[in-house]
Amino acid sequence: MKGMTVIVKTVSSWVKMLIFLFGIYIILFGHLSPGGGFAGGVILASSYVLLMLAFGRELVERNLPLPLASRLDCLGAFLFALLAILGLIVGGVFFVNFLYQKYLPGSTFHLVSGGTIPLSNIVIVLKVGASLFLVIFMLSRFRYDSKGPAEKLASDPTIGAKE
Amino acid sequence: MLYALCFLLFMIGLYCAVVKKNMVKIVIGIMVMEYAVNLLLIMLGYRLGGTAPILGGADADGVTKVVAAQFLATVVDPLPQALVLTSIVISLGSLALMISICIRTYAKYGTFDITEIRRLRG
Repeated sequence: MKGMTVIVKTVSSWVKMLIFLFGIYIILFGHLSPGGGFAGGVILASSYVLLMLAFGRELVERNLPLPLASRLDCLGAFLFALLAILGLIVGGVFFVNFLYQKYLPGSTFHLVSGGTIPLSNIVIVLKVGASLFLVIFMLSRFRYDSKGPAEKLASDPTIGAKE
Repeated sequence: MLYALCFLLFMIGLYCAVVKKNMVKIVIGIMVMEYAVNLLLIMLGYRLGGTAPILGGADADGVTKVVAAQFLATVVDPLPQALVLTSIVISLGSLALMISICIRTYAKYGTFDITEIRRLRG
């Protein structure tokens, strides 16, 4: 799996930054227009999937190593819980929008007008993007690992006895 | 009438999940069932000739910041859409789980046919 032809590689190296930038736009304007954390995270993960399809898995693994992706995944969940508990501490209610109109005054339909909602969008992007990237990466790795039962049994006789 | 078509789509997915013997086809049938339910929920919130429930700058009064009544009269219900978004996320997770189970089963048995996967290995 060393990648596709030179046409696919050239076009995807042009397009990858556009896809990433569009994902960031979707995230930052998620509280004003359609989009938000989940859609932006899917777009960011799909830019990595494009790289994986075009250039092979090794480049993506060098670019975003698996432990880093796993840590980003866990960090997303942790920060989301932290944001909720900060609402409990500061505002008195779980998940309350404690930044809205008190610390971040912004008029309607402006970018800084959502309080904690853009922050939670960014945190959800960490969670969704990293975990979706991990899912697709591990699926492609399963395919690499599974050579078929016959060869596996022939090459490694302990597999049949193990597990 | 359209709800009956949703039910028909659900039944097609159920037929595919129950009758077919290929594991990948079973997964496809389960996903068709989920999308039929999602379609039903979206259609429950639809209003004939309605617009998308996105509040733009022109829809609110410039001075009083009150949402225009004309906007509220034409917009579709956003609650089923949010529910279906959550449902899509969960179906994505379950799809990844089912696909990984299919891949591991194929690696172990060398077939997708569920009638041939009968002996316990290991």
